[in-house]
Amino acid sequence: MSRTSDNALKTESTRLLKDKVAKYGVTAGGIMVLCALLLIFFYLLYIVKPVFNAAEIEPITNIEKLTQTYASVAVEEQNEIAFALTEKGLIDFYALTGDKAGQLILSENIPETSEITAFDASAPQKGLYGYINDQSELLITKPDFRVTFPNDKRQLMPYMSYPFGESAIPLDTESLFTINSFSFATDEESIGLIHQHSDSKVFFTKLEGEEDMFTEEIEWTSSSTELTQVNGNILHTLVSPDLSRAFIITTNQLYVFNTRDSSDVSLLYNVNLIAKLNSNIKVTAANLLAGANSVIVGFSNGVLEQWFETNSDQGRDFVKVRQFELSGEAKGSAVQAIYPEFYRRTFLATTESGHINLFHTTSEAELWQGKLADGKIDSLAFSPRSNAVISIANDTLNISKVENEHPEVTWSGLWQEVWYEGYPEADYVWQSSSASDDFESKFSLVPISFGTLKAAMYAMLFAVPIGLSAAIYTAYFMAPNVRKFVKPTVEIMEALPTVILGFLAGLWLAPVIEEHLPGVVLLLILLPISILLTAFAWHNLPQKIKNAVPQGWDSIVLLPVVVIVSYVSFGLSPLVEEWLFDGNTRLYITNELGITFDQRNSLIVGIAMGFAVIPTIFSIAEDAVFSVPKTLSNGSLALGATQWQTLVKVVLLTASPGIFSAVMMGLGRAVGETMIVLMATGNTPIMDWSIFEGMRTLSANIAVEMPESEVGSSHYRILFLAAFVLFIFTFVVNTIAEFVRQRLREKYSSL
Amino acid sequence: MISMAPDMSNKKSSIIDLNNLQEQQIALRIQNLNLFYAEKQALENITMNIPKGQVTAFIGPSGCGKSTLLRCINRMNDLVDTCKIDGQILLHSQNIYDKSVDVASLRRKVGMVFQRPNPFPKSIYENVVYGLRLQGVSDRRVLDEVVENALRNAALWNEVKDRLHDSALGLSGGQQQRLVIARAIAIEPEVLLLDEPTSALDPISTLTIEELITELKNKYTVVIVTHNMQQAARVSDQTAFMYMGQLIEHADTNTLFTTPSKKKTEDYITGRYG
Repeated sequence: MSRTSDNALKTESTRLLKDKVAKYGVTAGGIMVLCALLLIFFYLLYIVKPVFNAAEIEPITNIEKLTQTYASVAVEEQNEIAFALTEKGLIDFYALTGDKAGQLILSENIPETSEITAFDASAPQKGLYGYINDQSELLITKPDFRVTFPNDKRQLMPYMSYPFGESAIPLDTESLFTINSFSFATDEESIGLIHQHSDSKVFFTKLEGEEDMFTEEIEWTSSSTELTQVNGNILHTLVSPDLSRAFIITTNQLYVFNTRDSSDVSLLYNVNLIAKLNSNIKVTAANLLAGANSVIVGFSNGVLEQWFETNSDQGRDFVKVRQFELSGEAKGSAVQAIYPEFYRRTFLATTESGHINLFHTTSEAELWQGKLADGKIDSLAFSPRSNAVISIANDTLNISKVENEHPEVTWSGLWQEVWYEGYPEADYVWQSSSASDDFESKFSLVPISFGTLKAAMYAMLFAVPIGLSAAIYTAYFMAPNVRKFVKPTVEIMEALPTVILGFLAGLWLAPVIEEHLPGVVLLLILLPISILLTAFAWHNLPQKIKNAVPQGWDSIVLLPVVVIVSYVSFGLSPLVEEWLFDGNTRLYITNELGITFDQRNSLIVGIAMGFAVIPTIFSIAEDAVFSVPKTLSNGSLALGATQWQTLVKVVLLTASPGIFSAVMMGLGRAVGETMIVLMATGNTPIMDWSIFEGMRTLSANIAVEMPESEVGSSHYRILFLAAFVLFIFTFVVNTIAEFVRQRLREKYSSL
Repeated sequence: MISMAPDMSNKKSSIIDLNNLQEQQIALRIQNLNLFYAEKQALENITMNIPKGQVTAFIGPSGCGKSTLLRCINRMNDLVDTCKIDGQILLHSQNIYDKSVDVASLRRKVGMVFQRPNPFPKSIYENVVYGLRLQGVSDRRVLDEVVENALRNAALWNEVKDRLHDSALGLSGGQQQRLVIARAIAIEPEVLLLDEPTSALDPISTLTIEELITELKNKYTVVIVTHNMQQAARVSDQTAFMYMGQLIEHADTNTLFTTPSKKKTEDYITGRYG
């Protein structure tokens, strides 16, 4: 007796243990899934967040009591050595780090020439400095650095280099007056200059060098044009680095010259910068942004304007695109100078009082404002990597750290139209990279989000009618012995790797559809009609013939019909093409209808991705329809409803939560699908609903660009943001689906 | 199940001689009906007349074919692919298995209520008017009137009149079954088939439904399949006892329960099997 009760207790305890283990096991599993989801979520946020960080500028070191008055200052790439140049040809190098920090480590003069009358610094990217003497001779120098490793220690040695030779190059000008000021730009073997003489005349000169085959000496030819069109007090002259444009800014005018051909320099645009006449406002500063497409003009009232050349169907124009305003203490005071970054569209504007405002044009953002030193800033420059800014004010050289990793990204820039350089108007553009360093990145998530929705829409357009009608037919009308085979067969289609679908769609389906476009359209029309006709004919056939087909397999009769109709449609394709579209549909669509036709277009994506989505929709919807209690449909039939009425009024209504969630799951799958859209579309980030054009989706965009984006760059982080958007997108779709399903299920719960 | 004391108090007025029915007293004439599920014969040569305006109960042990016979009357067996029927069932001297008969209109005349309450996931109101809407009736006043009448006839009106547009799924089981009856009588059938209508209900709901059935026979011919012999005795005027697909005995309820003419019937009603 006691043994049995012992045994009973023992079994009881193992059962309890198993129960406990199962309970905690399941709970732990569930929590881990949730944690994994949250981890993904927070990791994405962690990568994305720095993109929206504010910029910081923070002084680090000062070198005080400078003995010279420098005209220009700059810093080497590693921010280890700074150098400053005087107007008379002295270059001083200061160590910023290491044992000699704060000391003058090298001081050098340019080669002896006669009296220097003018000095100019090139665009910061080039790092060139030019001097012109009273003989109108030009000398170009470049402070450079040599890395050596004495005793296995890295040592940076500054030196002066002369990329265009150590002897000054004479400018052939007709003017006998000395040159007061000039600006220049260079490419491989030519130099472009705008120079103003003491008689106020302005010239554009192009120097072209040619190496002598034998002496290896460079022969310079110079061609000069007087720019007679310019009136007024010249404030600033600029030459674009490709030497194709010269800009002259006076106190109220902006002149743009086409200097591509040095023998035919012409005035392209002449714009009034001051709209109101007799206004007190004057232009006080101007500079070219990195990339040299945009001119930033600063005014005496603290306003800055960005101008660039646009190119539209109506022709070219030089327009004001946007404006900024100094803020904080500097609000309303005159812009003293404008300093661009090396590669990005960030620039600094300074005022007489030494106030600094940091702006970025693409994002239209003011990034930072404040003061680094008291008093007027004589000279300032960004470091090549834009992580420091060096300035001279009050005979003090100041180095400040800049934290401004992602100035081009703002939330509004990602989702709103932005007017990019060279574009005729503001637009949504995704173009993340190009061959050049000073390219203006165009990060608009709108075209790729649009592409995602477009691809999903066309896929759903294809998949929902087919998937749902198949599900309804299988669940409600099909004989059980046939359903037994059909359901698993369709469901197994889901296991088909999408890369194969994408591959087939891109390489086989796309050319076939392109070639037989009229046939495809014909098929879309003929197939439903012929299926209905067959069904009708079958219905009216004598019972004897019907009995020849085994019970429930009558839908097999449709197979030959589908094959024949497809064959006939494709066979008729060339005839229809000849008859309606002059023998070439593609040309007809492109030329006569004016619609762009891509071979890999939305039609292909719709079919291929629809094919991938059908099993998902079918499987869930079929379960939903099949699980509608038979008592309900019997109840309806017993009230005199036909099968069709019962289906529409009772079965579909009761199955609606499941059908809804089937469609939403399909949508979720279509939105997140990568391989098919990657391979079957042209991946063109355009915004157009046309069925004959492709798209680029969020997921495909990540797949295409992630491998080539620099880790930690804005591009990289924006791709993570795209992933985050995608994540939220599918999350929201699935949550809505689940929520609606729960609500509907609650409504029908007592069934 | 030995103590059989059927309450016969309400039967006195309606005793009819089943063997001597006049044409206008007959609602349904079942003649030589055989039914096969695939190879298996489920009904064997059933011949019987179901009198008009009376409650006829089919009783018998499980699997005896009583539900199958009931489902033959409105052709619900058509939905079973393997089912084959010969013989005839005449409604108004028209064979309902004739090719010219439209099943949907037949079912409009012969309504049916199932074992488990099966209201549609719609409002109470929409449930009741479902059959009318199928016929294309959409006049609001007509529908309102039908809803009230049907619910009153199904003894449900007072309970639901304030929440006609709430979901029918919020009703209790007994209320749902009365709603289903209301839904069936809303289209004014001639015959109402009840397939074990109270088997899923509690005793109090069962009592309500039984009272309702007694009311209903004033307007409709009612055929009820029941597992519960007391119920058959309480609500029916005529009782048919079936066994193994055969109709053993069909007589007025009083006679069948008190002086059955067949041995099998007696064994069954005294609880020897079943």
